[in-house]
Amino acid sequence: MQFFRNKRLFILLIGFIVLVALIGYSLNNRENLSTPVKFINDAVGWTQEVIHTPVKFITNIVSNINDFKNTYEENQLLKEQLSQYQTLTYEVQEIKKENEELMALLEIEDSARDYNPIQATVISRSPERWVEQVTINKGRQDGVANNMVVITAEGMVGKIQSASEFTSTVQLLTGFDQFNRISATISRGDDEKNIFGMIEGFEEETNSLLFRIIEESDKNLEEGELVVSSELGGEFPAGLPIGKVKEVVSDQYGLTRIAMVEPAADLYELGHVIVVDRALESAEGSNDEEEVE
Amino acid sequence: MKRLYIPLILFLLTILEGVALDLLPSELIMSDMLMVPHWVFAFLVYMAVFYDNDNTYHSVVYALLFGLLIDIVYTGILGIYMFTYALIIYIIHGLKKMLQGNFYVLLLLGAVGFILVDLSIYVIYMVVGLTDMVWENYLTGRLLPTGASNLVFLLIVYPFIAKRLARWGREQLTGSSTL
Repeated sequence: MQFFRNKRLFILLIGFIVLVALIGYSLNNRENLSTPVKFINDAVGWTQEVIHTPVKFITNIVSNINDFKNTYEENQLLKEQLSQYQTLTYEVQEIKKENEELMALLEIEDSARDYNPIQATVISRSPERWVEQVTINKGRQDGVANNMVVITAEGMVGKIQSASEFTSTVQLLTGFDQFNRISATISRGDDEKNIFGMIEGFEEETNSLLFRIIEESDKNLEEGELVVSSELGGEFPAGLPIGKVKEVVSDQYGLTRIAMVEPAADLYELGHVIVVDRALESAEGSNDEEEVE
Repeated sequence: MKRLYIPLILFLLTILEGVALDLLPSELIMSDMLMVPHWVFAFLVYMAVFYDNDNTYHSVVYALLFGLLIDIVYTGILGIYMFTYALIIYIIHGLKKMLQGNFYVLLLLGAVGFILVDLSIYVIYMVVGLTDMVWENYLTGRLLPTGASNLVFLLIVYPFIAKRLARWGREQLTGSSTL
C-alpha cells in the first residue's frame, strides 16, 4: 500500500513538471506553432466549419425574429440617413478621383492606407473567457500571416495571433495587453498636430480600450473623437477606425494621460471579418527586433 | 464500432463548446457574469460515474487527451486543461469508489468537479499571469455562474447518456485488463 501511495505522488509530481514545461513552452511560442499543433488546428477547424453552419443558421433565425420587432423605427431612421448618404457618396467619389490624380502627379504608387482584403468567416470562439480569441477559416494558404489586422465593416476587432495552413486564430482587442500594442492616432486637420499614442490594453469594468497618449496636441482631447490606426507601427495600414474617445484620465503616475476608447466594432457578435494584408511592404527586420524584446 | 462512440461524442462536445457562446444572447455575454462551458468535463464525469468500474481509468485517459485538444484549439497554452481535467476526474473516480453510481451522486460529484476544475484553472491562470481578477470578483462573477450553467447541462443530458454509458461500460469493460 505504501508503494502505491508513493507511485501516485510520483505521477502527480511528474504531471506537474510536464504542466510547467508545457506552459512555458507554449507561452514562448504562441506565434510560431509547431507542426502537430497546426495539423490539429486545421483538422478541428474543418469540423468546426461543418458544425458551425447549421448552428449559425438557427441563431440567425432567432436574431431575425428579434429584428422584425423594430423594423418600422429602423426603417424611418434609415430613410433619413439615406438621403444624406447620396450627397456624401458623390463627394467621396470626387475626392477619390482627385486623390488619384494628385498621386499620379506626384508619382506615388502605393500608400500606407492600401491593403488587400482577405474575406474570412469566424468559425468558433474560445469558451475560455479569459483567452479572448476566435478562429477564422482562412490560413497561410490564403495569404494570412501573423500580426495582420482583422477588421469588420465597423472597425478593428483584433489581430492574427497565429496562422495554421487553413485556419488561424485571432486575438481580439479585448484580450490585448502591453505585449500587443497598436499604434494609433487622432487626426486633427492641417494646422494642428495630430495626437499619437498606443492602444495598450482593455479594461473589463468600463468596457473600453486604453489609449496612452504619447504626443499631445495643443487643443484638448474631446469626447467622441475618432481614434484610427496609424502607419507608424509598421505592421498595420493607416486609417482603420478603432473606436471613439469616452473620457480622458491621467495614468497612475500622473505623467501621461490615457483616453478611454470605446471599440467601434461589436466584438461579441462576429460573423464575417476581413483580414487586412498591408499592401506596402513592411520593414521585416524591425518587426523581428520587436518580437525579441 | 461501439468503442468509437465515446471519443466521437467527446470530440463533438469539444467543437460545440466553440459555438456555445453564439447560442447565448449577447446581453448575457456582455454582462459581468462569465460562463465557461465545461461540457467535455461534464461528459467525463458521467464516464467516471457510470462507465468505468473501480479498476479501469478510461475517463482519466480521455480527460488527458481531450484536455490537451481544448488547450490546443481554444487557448493556445498547452497543459492547463489537460492537467486539471485529468487530476479532477481522477479525484472524482476515487470518490465514486466510496459512493454508489446513481443520480444524486452524479449531481454531487458534478458540482464538486466543476468547482474544482474552475478553481484550479483560475489558480494556474493567475500564476501564469493571464488573468488578474481578484478573488471576490471571481467567486461571484465566474465560479458560481459557470458551476450553475454546467450543472444545468449535466441535468439536461442525463436521460440521454446515463443508461447508455452504463450499458457500454458493462459490454466493453468485462474481461478487459486494467489500464
